[in-house]
Amino acid sequence: MNLLRNLLNSSLLFSLLLAAVWAYAADNSSQPVQLKIGTILASNQSDDFDARLKPLENQLKVMKYRSYRLLKEEAQSVPWKGNASFEIPGGRSLAISPQESKDKQITLKVRLTEGAKPLLDTTVRLQRRGHFLLGGPPHEGGALVISISASGQ
Amino acid sequence: MTTCERVKPAIGAWLDGELPASEAEATRLHVETCPVCGEEQRQLEHLHASLHAALTAGSAKPVFEPFWQEVQQRITRKTTWRESFTGWIHGTLTPPRLAWAVPALIIVVLAGLSVDFWFPGLKGGAPRDNFVAVESIDTYGRNVALLREDETKTMVIWLYQESENESSTEPAEFKPAF
Repeated sequence: MNLLRNLLNSSLLFSLLLAAVWAYAADNSSQPVQLKIGTILASNQSDDFDARLKPLENQLKVMKYRSYRLLKEEAQSVPWKGNASFEIPGGRSLAISPQESKDKQITLKVRLTEGAKPLLDTTVRLQRRGHFLLGGPPHEGGALVISISASGQ
Repeated sequence: MTTCERVKPAIGAWLDGELPASEAEATRLHVETCPVCGEEQRQLEHLHASLHAALTAGSAKPVFEPFWQEVQQRITRKTTWRESFTGWIHGTLTPPRLAWAVPALIIVVLAGLSVDFWFPGLKGGAPRDNFVAVESIDTYGRNVALLREDETKTMVIWLYQESENESSTEPAEFKPAF
Protein backbone atom coordinates (compact mmCIF):
# COMPACT_ATOMS: atom_id res chain seq x y z
CA MET A 1 0.00 0.00 0.00
CA ASN A 2 2.88 2.36 0.76
CA LEU A 3 4.35 1.72 -2.67
CA LEU A 4 1.01 2.45 -4.32
CA ARG A 5 0.54 5.62 -2.28
CA ASN A 6 4.04 6.82 -3.22
CA LEU A 7 3.37 6.11 -6.87
CA LEU A 8 0.06 7.96 -6.75
CA ASN A 9 1.71 10.96 -5.10
CA SER A 10 4.49 10.97 -7.70
CA SER A 11 2.06 10.71 -10.59
CA LEU A 12 -0.12 13.50 -9.24
CA LEU A 13 2.90 15.77 -8.80
CA PHE A 14 4.00 14.93 -12.31
CA SER A 15 0.51 15.77 -13.61
CA LEU A 16 0.51 19.13 -11.84
CA LEU A 17 3.93 19.92 -13.30
CA LEU A 18 2.72 19.05 -16.78
CA ALA A 19 -0.38 21.18 -16.41
CA ALA A 20 1.74 24.12 -15.23
CA VAL A 21 4.12 23.80 -18.19
CA TRP A 22 1.20 23.58 -20.57
CA ALA A 23 -0.52 26.60 -19.04
CA TYR A 24 2.71 28.62 -19.28
CA ALA A 25 3.20 27.60 -22.90
CA ALA A 26 -0.40 28.45 -23.73
CA ASP A 27 -0.04 31.95 -22.32
CA ASN A 28 -0.36 34.04 -25.47
CA SER A 29 1.25 37.14 -24.00
CA SER A 30 4.72 35.64 -24.40
CA GLN A 31 4.26 34.36 -27.94
CA PRO A 32 4.84 36.64 -30.93
CA VAL A 33 2.50 36.70 -33.90
CA GLN A 34 3.66 35.36 -37.22
CA LEU A 35 2.60 37.64 -40.05
CA LYS A 36 2.86 36.53 -43.64
CA ILE A 37 2.34 38.86 -46.57
CA GLY A 38 2.09 37.89 -50.20
CA THR A 39 1.95 40.62 -52.84
CA ILE A 40 0.25 39.47 -56.01
CA LEU A 41 -0.23 41.20 -59.33
CA ALA A 42 -3.68 40.49 -60.76
CA SER A 43 -4.22 41.46 -64.36
CA ASN A 44 -5.95 40.58 -67.59
CA GLN A 45 -2.85 40.86 -69.73
CA SER A 46 -2.23 37.12 -69.89
CA ASP A 47 -3.69 33.84 -68.71
CA ASP A 48 -0.73 32.84 -66.55
CA PHE A 49 -1.31 31.58 -63.04
CA ASP A 50 1.72 31.51 -60.79
CA ALA A 51 2.14 27.96 -59.46
CA ARG A 52 3.31 29.33 -56.11
CA LEU A 53 -0.18 30.71 -55.61
CA LYS A 54 -1.81 27.29 -55.86
CA PRO A 55 -2.91 27.28 -52.17
CA LEU A 56 -4.74 30.57 -52.77
CA GLU A 57 -6.18 29.66 -56.15
CA ASN A 58 -9.79 29.30 -55.05
CA GLN A 59 -9.74 32.56 -53.14
CA LEU A 60 -8.05 34.51 -55.95
CA LYS A 61 -10.42 33.19 -58.59
CA VAL A 62 -13.23 35.03 -56.80
CA MET A 63 -11.83 38.26 -58.28
CA LYS A 64 -12.31 37.32 -61.95
CA TYR A 65 -8.88 38.35 -63.16
CA ARG A 66 -7.22 36.13 -65.78
CA SER A 67 -3.66 36.26 -64.50
CA TYR A 68 -2.11 36.13 -61.04
CA ARG A 69 1.59 36.48 -60.35
CA LEU A 70 3.33 36.46 -56.98
CA LEU A 71 5.58 39.52 -56.81
CA LYS A 72 6.82 39.27 -53.28
CA GLU A 73 6.44 37.17 -50.18
CA GLU A 74 7.59 38.18 -46.73
CA ALA A 75 7.09 36.93 -43.18
CA GLN A 76 7.76 38.67 -39.91
CA SER A 77 7.37 37.79 -36.29
CA VAL A 78 6.01 40.65 -34.26
CA PRO A 79 5.11 40.97 -30.57
CA TRP A 80 1.62 41.93 -29.45
CA LYS A 81 1.02 45.67 -29.85
CA GLY A 82 4.23 45.79 -31.85
CA ASN A 83 4.47 47.03 -35.41
CA ALA A 84 5.60 45.23 -38.54
CA SER A 85 6.26 47.10 -41.74
CA PHE A 86 6.25 45.57 -45.23
CA GLU A 87 7.37 47.22 -48.43
CA ILE A 88 4.76 46.95 -51.17
CA PRO A 89 5.68 47.53 -54.84
CA GLY A 90 4.85 50.99 -56.20
CA GLY A 91 6.32 52.91 -53.29
CA ARG A 92 3.69 51.68 -50.90
CA SER A 93 4.02 50.43 -47.38
CA LEU A 94 1.91 48.17 -45.22
CA ALA A 95 2.06 48.45 -41.44
CA ILE A 96 0.44 45.76 -39.30
CA SER A 97 0.07 45.71 -35.55
CA PRO A 98 -1.45 42.72 -33.74
CA GLN A 99 -3.69 44.00 -30.97
CA GLU A 100 -5.14 41.09 -29.05
CA SER A 101 -6.03 37.44 -29.16
CA LYS A 102 -9.42 36.34 -27.99
CA ASP A 103 -11.46 33.21 -28.63
CA LYS A 104 -8.89 31.94 -31.13
CA GLN A 105 -9.16 35.17 -33.09
CA ILE A 106 -6.49 37.76 -33.69
CA THR A 107 -7.21 41.44 -34.06
CA LEU A 108 -4.93 43.31 -36.45
CA LYS A 109 -4.56 46.99 -37.17
CA VAL A 110 -3.62 47.42 -40.81
CA ARG A 111 -2.42 50.64 -42.45
CA LEU A 112 -1.58 50.98 -46.12
CA THR A 113 0.25 54.08 -47.27
CA GLU A 114 1.60 55.36 -50.57
CA GLY A 115 4.56 57.56 -49.81
CA ALA A 116 3.29 59.79 -47.03
CA LYS A 117 -0.31 59.49 -48.19
CA PRO A 118 -2.53 57.08 -46.25
CA LEU A 119 -4.69 54.85 -48.39
CA LEU A 120 -6.35 52.68 -45.78
CA ASP A 121 -6.68 52.28 -42.06
CA THR A 122 -8.60 49.26 -40.89
CA THR A 123 -8.98 46.94 -37.95
CA VAL A 124 -9.83 43.34 -38.74
CA ARG A 125 -10.41 40.28 -36.65
CA LEU A 126 -9.47 36.94 -38.12
CA GLN A 127 -9.10 33.34 -37.09
CA ARG A 128 -5.72 32.08 -36.04
CA ARG A 129 -3.95 31.07 -39.26
CA GLY A 130 -6.70 32.88 -41.10
CA HIS A 131 -6.06 35.29 -43.90
CA PHE A 132 -7.73 37.94 -45.99
CA LEU A 133 -7.03 39.78 -49.22
CA LEU A 134 -6.50 43.48 -49.62
CA GLY A 135 -6.63 44.65 -53.23
CA GLY A 136 -7.09 47.54 -55.55
CA PRO A 137 -3.93 49.67 -55.84
CA PRO A 138 -2.97 49.86 -59.54
CA HIS A 139 0.38 48.45 -60.61
CA GLU A 140 1.92 47.63 -64.00
CA GLY A 141 -1.39 47.60 -65.83
CA GLY A 142 -3.08 45.44 -63.25
CA ALA A 143 -4.07 45.61 -59.61
CA LEU A 144 -2.15 44.62 -56.53
CA VAL A 145 -3.69 42.03 -54.26
CA ILE A 146 -2.08 41.60 -50.85
CA SER A 147 -2.68 38.38 -48.96
CA ILE A 148 -2.37 38.94 -45.22
CA SER A 149 -2.28 36.04 -42.80
CA ALA A 150 -1.56 35.84 -39.11
CA SER A 151 -0.86 32.93 -36.83
CA GLY A 152 -0.38 33.09 -33.11
CA GLN A 153 -1.89 31.81 -29.91
CA MET B 1 0.44 -54.05 43.27
CA THR B 2 -3.18 -55.06 42.59
CA THR B 3 -4.17 -57.45 39.80
CA CYS B 4 -5.71 -54.62 37.77
CA GLU B 5 -2.49 -52.58 37.97
CA ARG B 6 -0.55 -55.59 36.69
CA VAL B 7 -2.99 -56.73 33.99
CA LYS B 8 -4.08 -53.42 32.53
CA PRO B 9 -0.77 -52.51 30.77
CA ALA B 10 -0.63 -56.02 29.28
CA ILE B 11 -4.12 -55.94 27.71
CA GLY B 12 -2.79 -54.42 24.49
CA ALA B 13 -0.10 -57.09 24.14
CA TRP B 14 -2.67 -59.78 24.95
CA LEU B 15 -5.04 -58.53 22.24
CA ASP B 16 -2.12 -58.54 19.76
CA GLY B 17 -1.31 -62.16 20.76
CA GLU B 18 2.10 -61.22 22.06
CA LEU B 19 1.81 -62.78 25.58
CA PRO B 20 2.91 -66.28 26.53
CA ALA B 21 0.01 -68.76 26.81
CA SER B 22 -0.06 -68.93 30.63
CA GLU B 23 0.06 -65.19 31.01
CA ALA B 24 -2.54 -64.74 28.25
CA GLU B 25 -4.92 -67.15 30.02
CA ALA B 26 -4.52 -65.34 33.34
CA THR B 27 -5.19 -62.00 31.62
CA ARG B 28 -8.30 -63.37 29.90
CA LEU B 29 -9.73 -64.69 33.16
CA HIS B 30 -9.15 -61.35 34.91
CA VAL B 31 -10.61 -59.23 32.08
CA GLU B 32 -13.76 -61.37 31.99
CA THR B 33 -14.42 -60.78 35.67
CA CYS B 34 -13.11 -57.19 36.10
CA PRO B 35 -15.37 -54.43 34.70
CA VAL B 36 -12.58 -51.81 34.63
CA CYS B 37 -10.16 -53.99 32.66
CA GLY B 38 -13.06 -55.23 30.51
CA GLU B 39 -13.79 -51.60 29.55
CA GLU B 40 -10.08 -51.12 28.75
CA GLN B 41 -10.23 -54.16 26.50
CA ARG B 42 -13.31 -52.82 24.61
CA GLN B 43 -11.71 -49.41 24.07
CA LEU B 44 -8.53 -50.94 22.70
CA GLU B 45 -10.50 -53.24 20.39
CA HIS B 46 -12.51 -50.26 19.12
CA LEU B 47 -9.31 -48.30 18.46
CA HIS B 48 -7.78 -51.23 16.59
CA ALA B 49 -10.89 -51.59 14.48
CA SER B 50 -10.90 -47.89 13.58
CA LEU B 51 -7.26 -47.85 12.59
CA HIS B 52 -7.68 -50.95 10.51
CA ALA B 53 -10.67 -49.50 8.70
CA ALA B 54 -8.84 -46.27 7.98
CA LEU B 55 -5.73 -47.95 6.67
CA THR B 56 -7.58 -50.38 4.47
CA ALA B 57 -10.03 -47.84 2.99
CA GLY B 58 -9.44 -47.02 -0.72
CA SER B 59 -10.19 -43.31 -0.32
CA ALA B 60 -7.08 -42.84 1.72
CA LYS B 61 -4.97 -42.93 -1.46
CA PRO B 62 -4.59 -39.53 -3.20
CA VAL B 63 -6.16 -39.58 -6.67
CA PHE B 64 -4.27 -37.40 -9.16
CA GLU B 65 -5.94 -38.58 -12.35
CA PRO B 66 -8.80 -36.00 -12.52
CA PHE B 67 -6.36 -33.23 -11.62
CA TRP B 68 -4.03 -34.07 -14.52
CA GLN B 69 -6.97 -34.44 -16.88
CA GLU B 70 -8.10 -30.91 -16.00
CA VAL B 71 -4.56 -29.56 -16.50
CA GLN B 72 -4.30 -31.22 -19.90
CA GLN B 73 -7.71 -29.85 -20.91
CA ARG B 74 -6.67 -26.32 -20.02
CA ILE B 75 -3.41 -26.65 -21.97
CA THR B 76 -5.03 -27.95 -25.12
CA ARG B 77 -8.21 -25.86 -25.02
CA LYS B 78 -8.25 -22.69 -27.20
CA THR B 79 -8.95 -19.57 -25.16
CA THR B 80 -11.74 -17.26 -26.24
CA TRP B 81 -11.08 -13.59 -26.97
CA ARG B 82 -12.95 -12.69 -23.81
CA GLU B 83 -10.69 -14.87 -21.68
CA SER B 84 -7.62 -13.46 -23.42
CA PHE B 85 -8.84 -9.91 -22.88
CA THR B 86 -9.63 -10.54 -19.23
CA GLY B 87 -6.20 -12.10 -18.76
CA TRP B 88 -4.55 -9.14 -20.46
CA ILE B 89 -6.48 -6.69 -18.27
CA HIS B 90 -5.46 -8.54 -15.12
CA GLY B 91 -1.84 -8.61 -16.25
CA THR B 92 -1.73 -5.01 -17.40
CA LEU B 93 -3.74 -3.06 -14.87
CA THR B 94 -1.52 -3.66 -11.93
CA PRO B 95 -1.61 -0.99 -9.21
CA PRO B 96 1.74 0.67 -10.14
CA ARG B 97 0.68 0.93 -13.76
CA LEU B 98 -2.71 2.31 -12.78
CA ALA B 99 -0.94 5.00 -10.76
CA TRP B 100 0.99 6.14 -13.83
CA ALA B 101 -2.10 5.95 -16.00
CA VAL B 102 -3.26 9.26 -14.50
CA PRO B 103 -0.39 11.42 -15.85
CA ALA B 104 -0.34 9.38 -19.05
CA LEU B 105 -3.98 10.24 -19.65
CA ILE B 106 -3.28 13.90 -18.90
CA ILE B 107 -0.36 13.90 -21.35
CA VAL B 108 -2.58 12.46 -24.09
CA VAL B 109 -5.32 15.04 -23.46
CA LEU B 110 -2.85 17.96 -23.37
CA ALA B 111 -1.11 16.70 -26.48
CA GLY B 112 -4.44 16.53 -28.28
CA LEU B 113 -5.27 20.07 -27.25
CA SER B 114 -1.80 21.35 -28.12
CA VAL B 115 -1.30 19.96 -31.61
CA ASP B 116 -2.38 23.22 -33.16
CA PHE B 117 -0.29 25.16 -30.65
CA TRP B 118 3.03 23.45 -31.29
CA PHE B 119 2.49 22.58 -34.92
CA PRO B 120 0.46 25.39 -36.44
CA GLY B 121 -0.56 24.51 -39.96
CA LEU B 122 -0.13 20.77 -39.40
CA LYS B 123 -3.71 20.14 -40.29
CA GLY B 124 -3.08 21.95 -43.57
CA GLY B 125 -4.91 24.44 -45.65
CA ALA B 126 -7.02 27.31 -44.52
CA PRO B 127 -8.93 27.03 -41.28
CA ARG B 128 -12.33 25.43 -41.65
CA ASP B 129 -13.90 28.70 -40.66
CA ASN B 130 -11.73 31.46 -42.11
CA PHE B 131 -13.68 34.02 -40.19
CA VAL B 132 -12.67 37.61 -40.88
CA ALA B 133 -14.55 40.59 -39.49
CA VAL B 134 -13.83 44.20 -40.36
CA GLU B 135 -14.26 46.20 -37.16
CA SER B 136 -13.40 49.58 -38.59
CA ILE B 137 -12.21 50.99 -41.90
CA ASP B 138 -11.08 54.39 -43.17
CA THR B 139 -10.15 54.74 -46.83
CA TYR B 140 -9.49 58.49 -46.83
CA GLY B 141 -12.13 59.35 -49.41
CA ARG B 142 -11.61 56.34 -51.63
CA ASN B 143 -14.28 53.82 -52.39
CA VAL B 144 -14.09 50.44 -50.79
CA ALA B 145 -15.83 47.20 -51.57
CA LEU B 146 -15.96 44.28 -49.18
CA LEU B 147 -16.52 40.76 -50.39
CA ARG B 148 -17.09 37.79 -48.21
CA GLU B 149 -17.48 34.58 -50.15
CA ASP B 150 -18.53 31.66 -47.99
CA GLU B 151 -17.84 28.80 -50.36
CA THR B 152 -14.11 29.52 -50.62
CA LYS B 153 -13.89 31.24 -47.22
CA THR B 154 -12.61 34.38 -48.87
CA MET B 155 -12.59 37.90 -47.49
CA VAL B 156 -11.53 40.72 -49.81
CA ILE B 157 -11.15 44.43 -49.06
CA TRP B 158 -10.94 46.26 -52.37
CA LEU B 159 -9.88 49.91 -52.66
CA TYR B 160 -10.66 51.96 -55.73
CA GLN B 161 -11.26 55.53 -56.82
CA GLU B 162 -13.45 56.43 -59.74
CA SER B 163 -11.63 58.91 -61.96
CA GLU B 164 -13.57 62.15 -62.41
CA ASN B 165 -11.20 63.41 -65.05
CA GLU B 166 -10.68 61.06 -67.98
CA SER B 167 -7.55 62.96 -69.01
CA SER B 168 -5.96 62.50 -65.62
CA THR B 169 -2.31 61.50 -65.72
CA GLU B 170 -2.69 59.24 -62.70
CA PRO B 171 -3.17 55.56 -63.44
CA ALA B 172 -6.76 54.40 -63.44
CA GLU B 173 -7.75 52.42 -60.39
CA PHE B 174 -9.58 49.19 -60.94
CA LYS B 175 -13.12 48.80 -59.83
CA PRO B 176 -13.75 45.61 -57.93
CA ALA B 177 -13.82 42.70 -60.33
CA PHE B 178 -16.07 40.48 -58.28
